[in-house]
Amino acid sequence: MTQRRIIHIDMDCFYAAIECRDDPAVADKPVGVGGSSGRGVLTTCNYIAREYGCRSAMPVFKARELCPHLVLKPVRFEVYKAEARKIRKIFRDFTDLVEPLSLDEAFLDVTETPGYAWQIAREIRKRIFATTRLTASAGIAPNKMLAKIASDWRKPNGQFAVLPEEIAAFMETLPVRKLWGVGPKSAARLAEWGVETCGQLQAWTHTRLHAAFGEKWGDTLYDLCRGRDERPVEVSRPRKSLSTENTFNRNLETLDACRAQLPTLLGDLDADLRRQPSVRNFHKVFVKLKFANFRTTTKECPATTLDEALFQRLLEEAFERSPHSVRLMGVGVRFAEPALPDRDQLQFDFAS
Amino acid sequence: MKFKINRDHFSSGLQQVLNVVGSRATMPILSNVLIEAKDGFISLTTTNLDLGIRCRVVAEIQESGALTLPVRKLFSIVKDLPSLEVELESHTNHQAKITSGTSIFRIMGIGADEFPPLPDFADEHSFVLPQGDLLRMLKSVSYAQSTDETRFIMNGVYFNFEEGKLTLAATDGRRLAVTSREMEVSPDNLGSLILPAKTVGEVERLLGQGDQVRIAFNERQVAFEISVGGEGKEGGLSESIYLVSKIVEGNYPNYRQVIPKETDLHVKLNRESFANCVRRAALVTSEKSNSIKVRVHDNLMEVTGSSSEVGEANVSLAIDYSGPDVTVAFNPGFLIDPLKALSRDEIIFEFKDELSPGVIRTQDSFLCVVMPLRLN
Repeated sequence: MTQRRIIHIDMDCFYAAIECRDDPAVADKPVGVGGSSGRGVLTTCNYIAREYGCRSAMPVFKARELCPHLVLKPVRFEVYKAEARKIRKIFRDFTDLVEPLSLDEAFLDVTETPGYAWQIAREIRKRIFATTRLTASAGIAPNKMLAKIASDWRKPNGQFAVLPEEIAAFMETLPVRKLWGVGPKSAARLAEWGVETCGQLQAWTHTRLHAAFGEKWGDTLYDLCRGRDERPVEVSRPRKSLSTENTFNRNLETLDACRAQLPTLLGDLDADLRRQPSVRNFHKVFVKLKFANFRTTTKECPATTLDEALFQRLLEEAFERSPHSVRLMGVGVRFAEPALPDRDQLQFDFAS
Repeated sequence: MKFKINRDHFSSGLQQVLNVVGSRATMPILSNVLIEAKDGFISLTTTNLDLGIRCRVVAEIQESGALTLPVRKLFSIVKDLPSLEVELESHTNHQAKITSGTSIFRIMGIGADEFPPLPDFADEHSFVLPQGDLLRMLKSVSYAQSTDETRFIMNGVYFNFEEGKLTLAATDGRRLAVTSREMEVSPDNLGSLILPAKTVGEVERLLGQGDQVRIAFNERQVAFEISVGGEGKEGGLSESIYLVSKIVEGNYPNYRQVIPKETDLHVKLNRESFANCVRRAALVTSEKSNSIKVRVHDNLMEVTGSSSEVGEANVSLAIDYSGPDVTVAFNPGFLIDPLKALSRDEIIFEFKDELSPGVIRTQDSFLCVVMPLRLN
């Protein structure tokens, strides 16, 4: 496997930064975002507020105790979402492999993007600032876990890279608490055994880890404390279509020859559909032909099942479009857009 | 294992079990069908661990035994064999040799001992009813199931065997379809289950091949024993098709509370005429503005649709109505789905005001509650 290059982008106090940007009068004051009622909690707060000890998820009354002059802003989710959309658009200029974790952070796999990952990260942060007037921090590493740890290293408005050859030294002193999936509970258990750093944990054998954490988590920990993490950057954007195609060794001259290929292609498409992680309804099917002159044509129609007779018809119509022989044939389906929550649609209230 | 079988019987048997294959790359055996040959039959079993199906097909068994083969590939081969006479013989290394006319196939399989057995379970509740009735009931509600995976409790059809009747319900939070049928249910046999959407689809597909279906369930699983007669028997299928499935675990939402009680405003409508009105008005709607308005006043129902991209439609229908002028907006699909699934000609459409649900009812204890869209 080639060495991957992963960037983790983390917006600095995203919600609070937007509030300060939109209301410059409070920019130099401690600002919290969240429940305005006395019983609410802070969704997040800016760095000035953090200096007073305010934290996200902290009850508002507690935050006010720590910082009596805290400026509290109501949550404006629509605004944050709009900014997040702009930022994601920037990511996609660099790679299609974007895995948003939330509105304010995402993993990018830039293995295939030309240029140094360090420069790419810098360019992304520059463009985010130019577009939104918001700062971001970045972590650059060969895998997701290290990239996420690294983005925290020079926060705010900074970036940090863990190079492949530096991993061993970096892990040696890294507190185990920083590992993905190691919460306060695991950390406390490890501390009882005198393990504070990943370097110390590396001394543990598989057997010992299994005994302490079970087989599965033990194996994962064994890899994580060595800075290994194979999880791919998963693009969650749902695919819009699924198709399978075949380029023939020899061009197909007749419609009958094309027809004979349909069952195999449909069989493959059907198998691919079944392999999808979740069942999704499609609403259109299509046949694609590439002719000897490299012109491509697609004929589609609404359908919700893989009906061979229907594909035959589409094939005939597509075939008629060119006098040339066929060098490639494909069949596919288009998925219905996942229904967006419709604000006008009233819902049942099953509660009570 | 060695047997002779009629090609069409074999393929019709495979067709019954074909849809249930696993998607886990780690368990290739789940893409296979278990073939067991014994006593004048072969039995065919597939499972994805959540749902399993088994059927039996008549065959001339020369040597009993068992093997698993990739079901989709096997089906496409069997369907395409040149002669009606087919012979299947297992060899060492889990290979199968299929001979028909002048064609010979050797297919790689996996040993039968690796195939996960269909679960045996103690059925706490058991009922028998006509397949036609269950099929009609399922089809009249199944379109209303939720496909939103985050609302998994609604990703299925709710079966409730209550005193004197069986009730089926499905909802996605915006519409609710309920149907029931009188049935003897002894007090110790009362119970309910949520049948997962995938299983609903398979049961709908398999029902109608014979007279009776037996449903048995406990807290975790449900089994359907679908008897085979007439056409199915001619196709070589024997006795019954057996389907066993996990059920959706959890409490189904209390759907009864969202069924409106007052019924002061209603009109009798011809089902097809109403469906046509809605369908025509919906022709001009778009994905962005997928709504139609239903207005009733002075013996007239007007169904209107409009979108900035296409234009407008106004379709009217003479009705018997002298109540107040009421307009309610709906997603047209939510009205058409139940109207399409029903078979009675006459339906009753109830409404109240623009923020209250519309209800489609029939004489035979069916109802569909549809939440409206906010009027702009």
